[in-house]
Amino acid sequence: MRTNLKVVDNSGAKRVMCIQALKGKKGARLGDTIVASVKEAQPGGKVKKGQVVYGVVVRAAMQKGRSDGSLVKFDDNAVVLVNKQGEPIGTRVFGPVPHELRKKKHVKILSLAQHIA
Amino acid sequence: MRLEKCWFCSSTIYPGHGIQFVRNDAKIFRFCRSKCHKNFKMKRNPRKVKWTKAYRRLHGKDMTQDATFEFERKRNRPERYDRNLTENTLKAIKVIDKVRSRREETHIKNRMKGKKSKITKEALKELDQQIHMIKAPGAMVKDASATTSAKVTVKVQHDTDENRMEE
Repeated sequence: MRTNLKVVDNSGAKRVMCIQALKGKKGARLGDTIVASVKEAQPGGKVKKGQVVYGVVVRAAMQKGRSDGSLVKFDDNAVVLVNKQGEPIGTRVFGPVPHELRKKKHVKILSLAQHIA
Repeated sequence: MRLEKCWFCSSTIYPGHGIQFVRNDAKIFRFCRSKCHKNFKMKRNPRKVKWTKAYRRLHGKDMTQDATFEFERKRNRPERYDRNLTENTLKAIKVIDKVRSRREETHIKNRMKGKKSKITKEALKELDQQIHMIKAPGAMVKDASATTSAKVTVKVQHDTDENRMEE
């Protein structure tokens, strides 16, 4: 809740604030879906400021356990905006994303991503 | 399964160990334990931290060039399973390991070669110059055989020389 996340796609939003994690009582972790409010947006984008959107956390500074028991962490907190069905709103994804998204059935984001870590 | 190397100390990271940090330019930094991760967060240079492999290689502490290092390589193409090949590889691992440890031993031995004579030399020098710290100069004159070893007799002569000058 209330975490400011960078938006790393070309949906038009620049910064969103988490207002609800759709799973888990401890808040969203890497790969989780959140409900967010758009705080900053580029003019002429698909998403406007003040809109309530869904997003997938693709980078988190908080470390997350991997399936082999090791941990992974990222530089910042970033999100890719999706619609209610889980399809990305934008057509590009910037920066590295974790391969765990495949497990969460966000294959589309993975295929759009520049790097997979 | 792949055994990675720690970014900081170059030790092997076995599956399930350590943490990996992905920078925004997608460079991956793998760490074998929290010690290495913390040192990275402190922005320490592994070449300047004495316990890392990078420091030891840079300062000639460890063997750097050896044919046994050539076997350890990153291969991106998986080898097709062959029973004989696997058996031979498993045998070779032991042999290579033995050879390497032996060579490392000789490397350290060579590195330490002049060490003992240097230590004794320094100790002798200290004894020569600081003998008054353990025995008063007068006592040395009174009892020449205070210490029995040959090197001390040299010192006694030295002291008597000084005494003569005083006289």
